[in-house]
Amino acid sequence: MRLQSSTFLAAVLAVLAVPAVGQTPDDGQWTMPGKNFAATRFSSLTSITTANASTLHPLWSFSTGVLGGHEGQPLVVNNTMYVVTPFPDVLYAFDLTKDGYPLKWKYRPDVNPSALGTACCDAINRGPAYADGKIVYNLLDGHTVAVDANTGKELWKVQIADLSEGETTPMAPLIVRDLVFVGPSGGEFGIHGWLKALDLANGKVVWTAYNEGSDKDMLVDTSKFRPFYDHGKDLGLTSWTGDAWKRGGIPVWGWLSYDPDLDLLYYGTGNAGPYNPEQRPGDNKWASSVLARRPRDGALIWAYQFTPHENWDYDANAEMILADLNIGGKLRHVLVHFDKNGFAYTIDRETGEVLLAKAFTTVTWAKGINLKTGRPTLDSAKLTGASRGNVKDICPSLEGGKSPVSAGSFSPHTEYFYVATNNLCMDYEASQVSHIAGTPYIGANTPYHAGPGGYMGAFIAWDAVKGQPAWRIEEKYPVWSGSVTTAGDVVFYGTLDGWFKAANAWTGQVLWKFKVGSGVVGCPIVYKGPDGKQYVAVYAGIGGDWFLLAGDVRSDDPADVRPPADFARDLARHTSQGGMVWIFGLP
Amino acid sequence: MDFRLALIGVGGVALACKPVTPTSNARYVPPVISYPQHVNAAGIAPPTSGGTLTNPYQPDSASVREGGQTFTAMNCDGCHGGGATGWVGPSLVDGRWRYGGEDGAVFTSIFYGRPRGMPAYGGTLSPAAIWKIVTYLRAQPVPSDVPTERWQ
Repeated sequence: MRLQSSTFLAAVLAVLAVPAVGQTPDDGQWTMPGKNFAATRFSSLTSITTANASTLHPLWSFSTGVLGGHEGQPLVVNNTMYVVTPFPDVLYAFDLTKDGYPLKWKYRPDVNPSALGTACCDAINRGPAYADGKIVYNLLDGHTVAVDANTGKELWKVQIADLSEGETTPMAPLIVRDLVFVGPSGGEFGIHGWLKALDLANGKVVWTAYNEGSDKDMLVDTSKFRPFYDHGKDLGLTSWTGDAWKRGGIPVWGWLSYDPDLDLLYYGTGNAGPYNPEQRPGDNKWASSVLARRPRDGALIWAYQFTPHENWDYDANAEMILADLNIGGKLRHVLVHFDKNGFAYTIDRETGEVLLAKAFTTVTWAKGINLKTGRPTLDSAKLTGASRGNVKDICPSLEGGKSPVSAGSFSPHTEYFYVATNNLCMDYEASQVSHIAGTPYIGANTPYHAGPGGYMGAFIAWDAVKGQPAWRIEEKYPVWSGSVTTAGDVVFYGTLDGWFKAANAWTGQVLWKFKVGSGVVGCPIVYKGPDGKQYVAVYAGIGGDWFLLAGDVRSDDPADVRPPADFARDLARHTSQGGMVWIFGLP
Repeated sequence: MDFRLALIGVGGVALACKPVTPTSNARYVPPVISYPQHVNAAGIAPPTSGGTLTNPYQPDSASVREGGQTFTAMNCDGCHGGGATGWVGPSLVDGRWRYGGEDGAVFTSIFYGRPRGMPAYGGTLSPAAIWKIVTYLRAQPVPSDVPTERWQ
């Protein structure tokens, strides 16, 4: 059923009236990538519990016919499940009211295959967003489309990014009121990163805010811009040398969140380019940062840089989960972020003050984060650059202590954050590189190896008040799936060797697991079906980065296990490529 | 600054060989093609009006070295990996080719690009520089294929 805009407005106002984030009324649907504006990926459904999760079983599955990495998540709106595949970005609409969930329609866009060579990390898509009767998502080749949620008819299609400049667009949009927020990938292609707001009605660009450059380009009004740690004009220019900022990367390929009370939109920015940091002296603002903007005009309100003069490809595109936590006897409105750099940050989301920053995995590049200055205390032996040769044993690897793709969840019951993490380290040999539009702008060779302990990943519950894990489940391979938590105190996640698991959210005890056929890099969702029952859905389909594809999991690629991906050579014993949608439920 | 020097280096690679005249261009450059034409109707190949595609370089050490330098300088390694052993783009040294492994087919792939992401370098590099990349790639040893992978 198509929502009238007045109904939609009323819904937004209802959300505004609820004080605590993550506590917004839950109708059992899944209408946006992170479940809600706070991106908590928490479902208030209670049927599946720690007592009965062991009886979960598969109810339905569907092959997408696509081999790429199946990142992101489906939506469930008005008893319809919407699935976007990796390239060629097909949108499926399944009728959940009918036996066998038959297709209502499918939408097959025309996507320029040249995008396959400009996407750094597999031909992925991180999912759609729903509002006002429209399913809105990005095509890999730099377009955003809006499709009628009932009929599958294309309502508008606009170009937002330029392939020839190295920009691709796999990220999941966020819709706030009548604006759609989108950004590009291309941190490996010397792009000039940005965030755009599109008009939900017709796709027209309402504003563009760059992530680097002058205050004007960055939509900074110095009377409104109040970063907690940094001061000065044109920081997006003065923190660079020469014109390196023009091709400085800083993509937006992760998740967005929004606080209706503060009216602030939060997003993380990606790495500065190229990987050889000696070609871009300075802090390189606002690479590897969190930016807080006003949705309606894009004005930058505050910004914080996690990794100044980023040396290690530490993008900060991971989700910013909004929660209200009792810290030092005071209820604080915070955002919690698990960075590629290995630190988990608890940040006051009104001011950008870092309240806590602790390592959640093996970290060697820095000794800690100085809360007075907001800056990391570096280990100078781990700095990289073409003149520094091969720098060994940097942890985390550039895949991140946590992959930004693997969106975590937050349970207001346990007050834990549930996050897939990697225990990988790397050697980093930087080299001089030339910028040639539309070609990679990288300049580093970075083979990986397992961190201390020998295991390559762990699924953890994180206490963001204490800055320490409450429990952890070690996994043999890096963990690349998102997670979802429920009011039944069950948390779900998947593994690269193809298991989908349910664990007790309090203790980390694994309650149930099922082999879904291919490694999981998607984000599970929980929803209420038309029969009122609780269901869990997840994608299987390994991919999403070259190292996941290189581990012999591609049956059509006889290059087999090639360095630097040979650290996980037996992964192919447990998985190969192949995209599937799975739905699980109780008997 | 260094970045400009690197680009000058690329130009130097192209200039290091004989100056490319329009006449020799016509000899080296294939006709403009569209991808469906790679399937030859009735098995008969279309005429190549641009002349034959013959690699003018021998796999001597100088041509191979220059081709390898251009391969790095033009960021080919950004997709195809260092030593062309494969990364997000396919390996070019495993003896397996999506679009044909003859010198002329490899030249065509670089000059015009390919539809699944390979950019066209014909406007950026001289035919001579592209032929040297072909020469470099063809000079790399092809590892023996391992059809069975065992873990025990």
